[in-house]
Amino acid sequence: MSDIKSVLLIGGAGFLGLHLIQQFHEVQPTPKIHVFDIRPLPEKLSKQFTFSRDDIVFHKGDLTSPEDMEKAIKESGANVVVHSASPMHGNTQEVYELVNVKGTRNIIDVAKKCGVKALVYTSSAGVIFNGQDIHNADETWPIPEVPMDGYNETKAIAEDMVLKANDPANNFLTIALRPAGIFGPGDRQLVPGLRTVAKLGQSKFQIGDNNNLFDWTYAGNVADAHVLGAKKLLNPETADNVSGETFFITNDSPAYFWALARTVWKADGHIDKNVIVLKRPIAILAGYLSEFFAKLSGKEAGLTPFRVKIVCAYRYHNISKAKELLGYKPNVDIEEGINRTLAWMDEHLDD
Amino acid sequence: MGKLGELLAHPVELKSALILKFIRQPLYSNEASMSADVKKCYELLTKTSRSFAAVIMELHPELRNAVAIFYLILRALDTIEDDMTIDVDEKVRLLEEFDGKLDTLDWSFNGNGPNEKDRDVLVEFPYILREYHNLKPEYQQVIKKITKEMAKGMVKYVLDAEFTLNGVATVQDYDMYCHYVAGLVGDGLTELIVLANFGSPSLYESDGNSKLFESMGLFLQKTNIIRDYAEDLRDGRTFWPKEIWAQHTDKLASLATDADNGVACINHLVLNALSHVEDVLTYLSLIEEQSSFQFCAIPQVMAIATLSLVFNNATVLQKNVKIRKGETCYLILKSRTLKGCVEIFTYYLRQIKQSLQVNDPNYLKINIQIARIEQYIEEMYQDNLPENVAPIKTPVYLSTSKRTVQDNKVVPVIEEENYKFNIGLTILMTLAFAIVHRLMK
Repeated sequence: MSDIKSVLLIGGAGFLGLHLIQQFHEVQPTPKIHVFDIRPLPEKLSKQFTFSRDDIVFHKGDLTSPEDMEKAIKESGANVVVHSASPMHGNTQEVYELVNVKGTRNIIDVAKKCGVKALVYTSSAGVIFNGQDIHNADETWPIPEVPMDGYNETKAIAEDMVLKANDPANNFLTIALRPAGIFGPGDRQLVPGLRTVAKLGQSKFQIGDNNNLFDWTYAGNVADAHVLGAKKLLNPETADNVSGETFFITNDSPAYFWALARTVWKADGHIDKNVIVLKRPIAILAGYLSEFFAKLSGKEAGLTPFRVKIVCAYRYHNISKAKELLGYKPNVDIEEGINRTLAWMDEHLDD
Repeated sequence: MGKLGELLAHPVELKSALILKFIRQPLYSNEASMSADVKKCYELLTKTSRSFAAVIMELHPELRNAVAIFYLILRALDTIEDDMTIDVDEKVRLLEEFDGKLDTLDWSFNGNGPNEKDRDVLVEFPYILREYHNLKPEYQQVIKKITKEMAKGMVKYVLDAEFTLNGVATVQDYDMYCHYVAGLVGDGLTELIVLANFGSPSLYESDGNSKLFESMGLFLQKTNIIRDYAEDLRDGRTFWPKEIWAQHTDKLASLATDADNGVACINHLVLNALSHVEDVLTYLSLIEEQSSFQFCAIPQVMAIATLSLVFNNATVLQKNVKIRKGETCYLILKSRTLKGCVEIFTYYLRQIKQSLQVNDPNYLKINIQIARIEQYIEEMYQDNLPENVAPIKTPVYLSTSKRTVQDNKVVPVIEEENYKFNIGLTILMTLAFAIVHRLMK
């Protein structure tokens, strides 16, 4: 039987979570959708979503708690569990370990015990990043021995646990997806961050020569990949090819960092006539100075050497494997994704 | 700026021009043993296109005559189609019967208008016919098949009143038109190359790869069509597809005085042309024999240089722009290796990216298309992999690796040319210095 009867979305009230609800909601026949999260679903949903809060059963709980998890899984009767809960960047190592490592372990153990058929885990393209350029990486690229930071380190540990938990003999199948640069309605980082940069009048500065390629991925497309992953795991004909495997997920159209930024600003009605280019070494130097003076004055530095390196790095991926084995293709292109994100921001749901 | 001033302003191009003129040895020199008929054919070829003749002359002897005759026959056909002094019914009849004339030994045609520049090709057609019959039968078959197809296309357009009046409607029509005037040439040349065993047979497999040679022709033709806007408009015709220009203006001719929309339209057409680049690079990676490689590569690198020149360039709306002569020399020398071609494409794509303005309606799409090509080039070479990661053996990776073996045979030749140039330069400088020194005494 390959239908998704009921799906439990862990972290389903978050940014990606709402897109997951939407895409699972569109599956035919429509599965029952359960959300497990520590925070409630937002009161007001963007009008871009077509599901309603009443379509969803919400389970409040702590993902590190075996009791909470077992209760939710049993109540939902889910044959598919999607684990997309993840702390925001900028948290402490302790939080990363708690959510990414302990939480994921708990989900695997309880889901397996409760007879869930398929576990889809939202990993991150960052698991292979250690600050070096990434050119068209596929899944054969290694996870670096020295991780970039605590976030990527714990994501990599969790991904490894999920893949190792794949157990066809006992009818418990797992898959991990590695999206890169997720953006879309609900995004708190990428597009809103750029809008802030323009408001501060900083958009006229370009750091680096703008030849480095980046992946941005529309959240709805990432959610599509999760649906495909679940379906392929449940289908006995395809399960062998995808279970225990990891897949990069992108919009399959890497682009130059500043071209993406300027597209956002342009869609926002802001075009800089003159752009001041700071070459990478100069920007790194400026970053050190900025960091130094920020420390003196006790403020947070806007420009840091770390940020300069991130902005100047090549980071794009080859998603042939997802296209071939999951039948994935990005349904919403970047331009449309940017427009949808800005339209969502203009809904001012937080006011 | 004069030609010499232009060269002096671009020393790399000056160096290339000198190497090309004085140092470089052609791969195959013209044998002295040419028959009178062959000689006559090459005379005709040189008269119709000096630059093309030069490239054909350097082809491997196995293919040289076949390609020259192929070119002359298509030139003859084109000269009939192009001639507005020939009555339409008569023209259609001539075009429809043309491939049949290839079976004769003495057909010729003297009915072109006196100002038709290549009318001699038809007047002297028996020379071409005799040489055609000396070609290997399988080469003759290819030439005849393509001639017939192309004539069919010409008849279609001659009779299409809508086309004659309003030009090309959709992007699909645009591709179709370019197929008849250029894609078919790519088809024929590719079959010749494969028959001669000079390229991978996969270039001419019936399934799938026909897209590759089609793209070779379309990339060149579209570049010319974009560049020739002003000239074509003056001659009362147009090949820019309405589906694209209608997004920028109500009337194509009005772009001549509307630089903003005109440039946006040019850039849109360049974006469309760039969709063929991945195929072009793949095609080149599959050519094994060196003279055939150069023959195929030179027009393509000229095209990307031209695209970069016309991109975001309002001058195109007023007159024909051309790449510098010295630039041409540089490209001819550099395009002898696949790696060189890839570097040329990368360079001009970055130029395009640099002159692209944020307010261009296709700003992101053009960026993404260029990025896509860059990603493809990465796949061809895969030279940025971390330790212990094996390259993914995709078809283009494998053909690029194979072609790189050929590239490596050309590298010493290029090094020797540079060495000779440097020696020559040193001798000249020493002499000049000695003379100046002497004069000062």
